[in-house]
Amino acid sequence: MALDLKGILAPFTALKQLGKPPHTVAYPMVKKPTAERYRGLHYNELDDCIGCGTCSTICQNGAIDMISLDGVEGKTGDSGLRPRVDNGRCCWCGLCVDVCPTGSLSLTQEYLYITDDADSFLWIPGVDNPEGGKLKSFYPESNAQSLLDYNRIPMPELEGMERIKSYAEVVLGYNQEEAQAEAERCISCGLCVEACPEHMHIPEYINAISRGEPDMALKIIYDNNPLGELCGKVCTRRCEDVCSIAVRGEPVAIRWLKRYATEQANNIDIIREILDPEILPPNGRKVGIIGAGPSGLTAGYYLALKGYDVTIYEAKKHAGGMTMYGIPKYRLPMESLQKQIGYMESIGVKIKFDTKIGVDISFEELQKEHGAIFIGIGFEVPYTLGIEGEHFEGSIQAVNFLREVNAERPVEIGQHVVVIGGGNVAIDGARIARRFGSDVTILYRRRVADMPADWEEIEGAEDEGVKILTQAIPLEILADKNGKVESIKYGMAEMVDDGKGGRPRPRLIENDEHIMPVDNIIGAIGQEADYSFIPENIREQLEFSRGRMVTGELKETKLPWLFAGGDIANNTADAISAIADGYKAVKGIEKLFAQKGQE
Amino acid sequence: MNDIKQELLAEQTFADQIQKTFKTAGVRVIRKRRIEVVMRADLIPPYLTHAKNQHNFEHLSHISCVDWLEEGHFELVYILWSYTMEMQLIVKCRIPRHTPQFTSIQNIWEHAGTYEREIHEMYGITFAGNDNLGDFLLEDWEGPPPMRRDFDTVKYSEENFKDRMDARQDAQNVRETITKRSGEDMPDFAKPYSLR
Amino acid sequence: MTREKETTLYLGPQHPGITGNMMVKLKVAGDEIVKAETHVGYLHRAFEKLMEARTWMQSFPIVCRICVPEPDPNEENFARAVEEIEGREVPERAQYIRVLVLELARLASFGLWFGGQSGSAGLYTMPQWTVGDRDYILDLFEELTGGRVYHMYIWPGGVRKDLPEGFTDRVLKTLDYLESRLPAIDNLMFDNAVFQKRAQGVGYIDPKMAREWGVVGPPLRACGFKNDVRIDEPYEIYDKLNFEVPTETGGDVWARALVRRREYDQSISIIRQVIEKMPGGEYYNKVPNPLTWTIPRGDAYVKTESVRGEFGYYVVSDGSTKPRRVHVRGPAYVHAVSLLERILVGANIADVSFIMNSLGTCPPEIER
Repeated sequence: MALDLKGILAPFTALKQLGKPPHTVAYPMVKKPTAERYRGLHYNELDDCIGCGTCSTICQNGAIDMISLDGVEGKTGDSGLRPRVDNGRCCWCGLCVDVCPTGSLSLTQEYLYITDDADSFLWIPGVDNPEGGKLKSFYPESNAQSLLDYNRIPMPELEGMERIKSYAEVVLGYNQEEAQAEAERCISCGLCVEACPEHMHIPEYINAISRGEPDMALKIIYDNNPLGELCGKVCTRRCEDVCSIAVRGEPVAIRWLKRYATEQANNIDIIREILDPEILPPNGRKVGIIGAGPSGLTAGYYLALKGYDVTIYEAKKHAGGMTMYGIPKYRLPMESLQKQIGYMESIGVKIKFDTKIGVDISFEELQKEHGAIFIGIGFEVPYTLGIEGEHFEGSIQAVNFLREVNAERPVEIGQHVVVIGGGNVAIDGARIARRFGSDVTILYRRRVADMPADWEEIEGAEDEGVKILTQAIPLEILADKNGKVESIKYGMAEMVDDGKGGRPRPRLIENDEHIMPVDNIIGAIGQEADYSFIPENIREQLEFSRGRMVTGELKETKLPWLFAGGDIANNTADAISAIADGYKAVKGIEKLFAQKGQE
Repeated sequence: MNDIKQELLAEQTFADQIQKTFKTAGVRVIRKRRIEVVMRADLIPPYLTHAKNQHNFEHLSHISCVDWLEEGHFELVYILWSYTMEMQLIVKCRIPRHTPQFTSIQNIWEHAGTYEREIHEMYGITFAGNDNLGDFLLEDWEGPPPMRRDFDTVKYSEENFKDRMDARQDAQNVRETITKRSGEDMPDFAKPYSLR
Repeated sequence: MTREKETTLYLGPQHPGITGNMMVKLKVAGDEIVKAETHVGYLHRAFEKLMEARTWMQSFPIVCRICVPEPDPNEENFARAVEEIEGREVPERAQYIRVLVLELARLASFGLWFGGQSGSAGLYTMPQWTVGDRDYILDLFEELTGGRVYHMYIWPGGVRKDLPEGFTDRVLKTLDYLESRLPAIDNLMFDNAVFQKRAQGVGYIDPKMAREWGVVGPPLRACGFKNDVRIDEPYEIYDKLNFEVPTETGGDVWARALVRRREYDQSISIIRQVIEKMPGGEYYNKVPNPLTWTIPRGDAYVKTESVRGEFGYYVVSDGSTKPRRVHVRGPAYVHAVSLLERILVGANIADVSFIMNSLGTCPPEIER
């Protein structure tokens, strides 16, 4: 066999490597920096974290717990919990970072964790490495890199100039595909539930929609809100303000999803079939409700389900209160309201229309007939502007204007209209006036950002050609010789610090006054209640504060048999708060009868 | 449309051929280079022999098993590749869960025996003709065949490794925290719809 | 020669020459093996069962852990199977990046193989070199993905992050370096008379057996078959690349070593082509919310060419948010059980781990 000389000598060339410098570094004297995207130990920006717990839910190793921390208090929009990582389980996949809706969670360059206790792998990011924020290396650089979808499925709407031709509903509603896609954005943290005055089971009904089960969604909605469709159309949706997705993106369209689920049941029979409500046999207990607004209807519905004999006394021709007479039909069509109320009547809620307490039936009589009384009359009397010339012909109030329009009574309105105010009523008034073909300008004391109205309503108004003049304070209404409104004088304002750390307030700029010719002025700066139907002797026993009735946890008043809810008994004055009041009062009324039964 | 047909012509021709020979089989072209054949269980060994010998499906890539617990059967999946036709043949059959028995195909492919050993261990399916069905991956395991869907891993862990969770008893559920704090009354029927 | 008395020898699971936690029970007569039995079960982690209790996205970080030397084919398979069942498109750029990652992973894995194959023949210099050089590839992975060994980077819909600025230049630089190391490797290993003597004629696989026993990858190609998943069933953008499939006809450890050595060159060439052709655009077709993401009912068998050969995933969805079944088909499953048991018969005890290395034995993918 020939000698394989090459085969013997070639390996010795390896000796050449001896003189070369090593590839290793002299750790720990020399440390190799980690890469920019390195996935090391966690860091959490504790102030940015809202404790939604999505990191804990996505963690496939069960390495993340949500725990209470000293010094972190829960509040609306923040569970008060913070993640703790079990470094013995973590695999540094970083899914927690990719689903963190706020972007507070990140992975750092640090990878050493040394302890002499093998059991103590529990690590609270941000607490155990307060300086970790400087070492962030793996974090979502943009919303696109997140696993979450920050963009809302757009809601189909009528085009702005098309809308003002009629009272047709502006919002067209999601179809099934759109609803499911929008519902799938929800991460089910439940922070919204706390913000909702009624604490609806929001993540659950959204998840039912995302699974393609709108019937179940309807059932979950009706569990504590019998006016879900109404809320689906016009709710002030505090829930969306605290949506964890909204920290970096557009909140889940909770309201529109509710609207989708409720609209699937498009007549009373279908609602009944889906809900298949359990109605307890009559228990002989009688409850009288004054006012068929959202609070009264809610109380009536749940009491009726529980076997109570409920009668609602409504002064007007239709039920719904402010939602019937205050909210324009392009937001909440008559049929929708009729369907929801009709369903309530079908399960045993009795409503006596055109029945005004103190006129058609006395309060005392009501009191005699019923074991408990709930008052939910709402705020129907508008505040006046408090400026000169308000009595002139053509100066009207938005609530009165809306009521007349909604009641389909003839209303006349001129070509040039100014609406004063920045709330939803002002916007409603302005948008309705546009439907009369008028040129409408809203005068508001502060900035657009300060307007209490829903941002989508403001946008809707602008789309329809409503002009908004901000930082303009009305000073005087001027009339022609016939006493008819001719123009309005207003002054421009600048925003100044209120000195107390609150929101800035407007201050008139000297010599910056203007006059705008107008035909009508619509005031919309707030309303109050008319309590005159309550007899003097009873009213004396009740407590009032700033025009509102003071009530307890279960909406009880100083008189054990009397309950109150809605605008007259809360500070938020919207439909969902009224519904929440009605729901609470049911518990109060049940408690009252239970106590009576024991006596 | 014609392009698609053209692209899958070879697959479709072959699928038609199988269908012609095995009339009761469900034959489907999944995509390019993928054909699915669903057959009666007793036809599987003869069909696999046929596929190997007549159509050059000489390479057995994989044997898999899926437990369709709710539907009451196991699905055995034989995945073959033909180097000449460049096609992957996915042959499936169902056997009832209550009698988990089948025939070995070790006589067709020697290495099939290893797959059968694992399926036996993980699903409790016996393969007649394979005399090497003893311990494989799970020596000293005494529980039920663990890949069956009714084997509850969480329950098993809780029963056997409870002490490991002690240090983390203070963990809280965000959704429940919100419910408690806000006073929400969550009805039972809504709970399964909570993702948390 | 009188027949030696037979004894039973347990090689592993902690034998330093054995590739991972696995044991081969040998019946030996003298130093000749009469019978071999593969015993696994030392690292069963039940990944497949774990995935059935996890959502699709939660399953994604698990799969790479099935194989330490080359985790990326697992990610690739899982992603591609999910995409196939769901019908999700992957942007072209993502496909190029995936191939870049897969080929880098091949190089890294070959680095371990050079070391293992030489080391198990007593040539301990090689592991020092190639495992060290592998770290330069891991540096690239760290930069691209944030992780060195487990990348968790190829995921359903594309890849997790885009290429960092100037990344491809650094890849090219590393490739140049790796290439510059090859003469030294050849001198030490392939031109080495001792290594040649050890490898030639050892661990022979008959070509007919290779076909019918499910042999794949370099062991199959070392029997003269020009089969490679990247050619037979091109995935991602492999059909747009030019590369050769090296074959040998020896069927022994030496032939398998030569095949791998030439594949190393091919991978370097592929990466250069990928970088040259890398298109712009999106790198990720975003999947829906991972908490609620459902995949329609269906199944898919997908395969990737790993350094050890056809790496397959059979994935089944029942239409829910979690996989019904994820079944992993690793090449070692066949190579290190039925095949190894057969070809060890008649071999020398000293060659057991040498042969195992040449077959690409990887116990973690046998057990998952």
